[in-house]
Amino acid sequence: MKQWPLSNLWKKLPEQVRRLSILGIILVAFFLMIRSLLIPSDFGKFGHYRASAVEEIASLPMQYAGQMACVECHEETVTLKGKGYHKNVACEICHGPAAAHTRDPGSVKLTAPRGRGYCPICHEYLPSRPTGFPQIVSNSHNPMKPCISCHNPHDPKPPQTPKECSACHGEIAKTKSLSHHVYIPCTRCHNVPKGHKISPRKFLPTKPSTREFCGGCHAKGAAGEKGIPQVDLATHGKRYVCWQCHYPHLPEAH
Amino acid sequence: MEEIIRHLTPLLKEITGYIYPNEIELHWGILVVIYPYITGLVAGAFILASIVKIFNVKEVQPTYRISLLTALAFLIVAPLPLLAHLGHPEKSYEIFLTPNTSSAMAMFGFVYAWYLMAVLLLEIWFDYRKDIILWAKKETGFRKWLHKILSLFSVDVSERAIKFDKKAVKIITVIGIPSAFLLHGYVGFIFGSVKANPWWSSVLMPIVFLFSAIVSGIALILIIYMIVTPLRAKQIDMVCLNKLASYLFYVMIVDFSLEALDFMHRIYESEESIKILSQLVSGKLFVSLIVIQLLIGMLIPLGAIATVKIFDLPDELKKQIYFLSALLVQVGIFTTRWNVVIGGQLFSKSFSGLTAYKMTFFGMEGLLTSIGLLLLPFIILFVLFKILPPWDEARTAVK
Ligand code: HEC
Ligand code: HEC
Ligand code: HEC
Ligand code: HEC
Ligand code: HEC
Ligand code: HEC
Ligand code: HEC
Ligand code: HEC
Repeated sequence: MKQWPLSNLWKKLPEQVRRLSILGIILVAFFLMIRSLLIPSDFGKFGHYRASAVEEIASLPMQYAGQMACVECHEETVTLKGKGYHKNVACEICHGPAAAHTRDPGSVKLTAPRGRGYCPICHEYLPSRPTGFPQIVSNSHNPMKPCISCHNPHDPKPPQTPKECSACHGEIAKTKSLSHHVYIPCTRCHNVPKGHKISPRKFLPTKPSTREFCGGCHAKGAAGEKGIPQVDLATHGKRYVCWQCHYPHLPEAH
Repeated sequence: MEEIIRHLTPLLKEITGYIYPNEIELHWGILVVIYPYITGLVAGAFILASIVKIFNVKEVQPTYRISLLTALAFLIVAPLPLLAHLGHPEKSYEIFLTPNTSSAMAMFGFVYAWYLMAVLLLEIWFDYRKDIILWAKKETGFRKWLHKILSLFSVDVSERAIKFDKKAVKIITVIGIPSAFLLHGYVGFIFGSVKANPWWSSVLMPIVFLFSAIVSGIALILIIYMIVTPLRAKQIDMVCLNKLASYLFYVMIVDFSLEALDFMHRIYESEESIKILSQLVSGKLFVSLIVIQLLIGMLIPLGAIATVKIFDLPDELKKQIYFLSALLVQVGIFTTRWNVVIGGQLFSKSFSGLTAYKMTFFGMEGLLTSIGLLLLPFIILFVLFKILPPWDEARTAVK
């Protein structure tokens, strides 16, 4: 029989290496076989994923109907909500996915979050909530009563206009209360139009815009209480407005 | 939803300062602490074995095979915390099928497989082959077949073949050291490469991880050796023990210097994160970092071993000091991992607030699972000791 050059080499290998190689070859072959069996054929067509996964996900049944679907039967609620503070809060956030309900309202009933625990998910005071967002501390805001006994969830006007700026600017108010400016009322620096507390975005307060404004208390020789630290406006931080270096609600001088 | 709120409410009370909503709850809990701890033990034990082999250190020869088996036992357990943490272990093989080269975490599977198959198992196999064949010859029944299969039915015990085994072990050791560095350096790399996290992001991270790994590995072998030897009614080899303790001492000094270097570097650089980090170190991490990691886990053992070295104490006392020091070192290295993993998630990326970590007792991510995972390697090790006795007399008995 003809001698294969490879078989010569094979015989020259030490016995243990031959055995290991066989095991190695079996393992690699096994791995390759598994790989070819298990990798879906359309893997990697578009990227590091299965191409058909896109279609699979797209063909999942729809759970949400969207606000427009409710108009047909709940027109009143939709119009009411569309005018109120919750106009940008979708119906299905509070009532859950409603696609099935729109198809068969008789047998698929939605639930409404009537408990007190629900609304604070969005309205509980959190420093990271954007300024202007209405926030309450639920432990102290009219405790025990359900929120909807005073606020209509579809048109949540506060029964009376909030008195404090902290209702919607909690973080700023908290920050200021620990700062050197603690005794300066917000309205000393901001002119707040009447409507701001009712339609805050329609009636925006003013903000200081000049260096001279802060200079009113801090310029050399400015009249005012004693003990206010004073700087020379002509040289101190010139060319910049003061709040590029000092946060007005927590001014620091170091 | 309710469950989430119930879970988050107590945490909210622990928060200080400003923190983003998604930072309130830690995503990596105790399981992710255990994972680098265990891989560290693997790498450390293996590097100890490699030192023995490469530099042919006669004194610590008794621990060579113990180290290899320990590394194997812990390596088998190393991925389990990750699997438990990620969930869906039945899908884990997929990272091998479709390798994602742009993800360091996905490549871990290959680092692990390489280390297990190409390094550790091979080295153990070549080192034990002759013994396994000889054992199989003398044994009967189940053990005979087990050993036959383990030897892959190899029969060649000629002078030449054994010489080849020895050479193979040497070569694998040489490949193994960079591999062990890769295995654990990789774990440090995962943390060190998180740019957004100043507590982690440091090029020194892989190196610090590596040296603390070697420290913990040597300490572990010392502990295992000191427990197992009396259990077998044998005399502890003082020369071996002294040498191990010396290794431990010197590597700890290197580790300590590296960590000090990292620390000074951070303080001198004084990046914008320094304020929150110093709050972290002096507040929430004070006990685990300063008291346990630094004092109990580093300075006290260093001092104790130094005392042994300076004053030539009686052997009995030496043993006790070594043993206690090694235990303290384990506690220290465990908290090192804790401080890295947990500490790195306690402060807000806004650098102006801190959160807290609440560990659960039950559940997949709880303390109970973790304790189980930490005990498992010892059970595996016990079985390995039965199948592949690493003792000297097992080697010579069949001659
Ligand atoms: C085809 C008409 C129809 C459409 C479309 C429809 N509903 Fe309804 N819905 C009804 C009817 C009818 C009821 C009263 C069922 C009853 O009380 O038995 C109802 C009741 C409700 C209730 C009351 C549940 C309660 O606790 O009292 C809610 C909430 C509700 N719908 C929400 C929605 C929302 C949100 C949408 C849009 C995604 C929507 N519905 C679309 C017909 C409709
Ligand atoms: C902020 C959460 C919230 C949103 C957004 C919301 N709802 Fe409601 N809805 C409630 C609550 C709470 C009740 C229960 C009121 C009660 O029992 O007095 C309710 C009750 C209802 C009812 C029962 C009849 C009623 O008026 O009391 C209907 C119908 C309804 N909602 C439809 C809608 C539709 C349609 C939309 C979207 C246009 C919508 N809701 C948006 C919270 C919400
Ligand atoms: C998904 C988040 C969300 C939920 C849940 C939610 N709200 Fe609102 N709420 C808002 C948004 C957004 C606004 C408008 C804020 C703005 O105009 O900047 C708002 C405004 C309000 C206001 C107006 C405050 C003011 O004077 O400006 C009240 C009162 C209010 N919500 C009460 C409730 C009550 C009661 C519930 C529970 C039924 C509730 N909200 C549930 C998001 C939510
Ligand atoms: C007893 C009636 C009552 C109940 C119950 C009640 N509120 Fe109010 N809420 C008011 C009044 C009055 C105001 C306006 C005056 C003020 O600022 O306190 C207001 C204001 C608000 C505001 C505007 C911000 C602010 O602080 O002024 C929000 C948001 C709000 N409430 C949410 C809630 C939520 C959420 C609940 C349930 C957890 C709730 N309210 C329960 C009476 C109530
Ligand atoms: C009902 C909630 C609410 C109350 C109460 C409220 N604000 Fe506002 N405020 C807002 C909202 C919403 C904005 C717009 C935020 C935005 O667009 O980012 C705003 C914006 C502002 C701005 C910034 C204007 C700008 O041009 O950027 C100032 C200043 C301000 N408020 C001051 C005040 C002061 C001072 C008070 C107390 C006298 C007050 N606000 C009370 C909701 C409120
Ligand atoms: C010492 C003067 C001063 C006082 C007092 C003050 N502000 Fe301001 N505030 C400013 C200045 C200046 C700016 C503009 C900062 C800028 O443009 O960066 C500003 C900006 C704001 C803004 C819009 C930008 C932002 O930071 O979100 C709001 C909202 C605001 N102030 C609310 C308040 C509220 C609420 C109070 C009272 C609790 C208050 N301010 C008290 C000086 C003041
Ligand atoms: C109504 C007067 C008044 C106005 C207007 C005013 N401040 Fe002040 N400011 C004070 C007072 C009072 C203190 C506190 C002095 C003290 O702590 O004894 C102060 C303190 C300071 C400090 C020093 C804080 C420290 O660490 O010592 C700075 C900086 C500062 N204000 C900046 C500003 C800036 C910027 C503005 C303009 C946006 C401004 N102030 C507008 C009254 C004012
Ligand atoms: C370029 C940055 C910059 C600007 C712009 C700036 N400041 Fe300052 N300010 C500083 C620094 C830095 C300090 C602290 C060191 C010092 O006293 O010079 C300080 C300190 C102060 C102090 C405390 C002084 C003391 O004696 O404690 C006051 C008051 C002050 N600034 C007010 C203002 C006012 C008002 C403006 C606007 C007209 C302003 N700053 C603009 C950087 C600035």
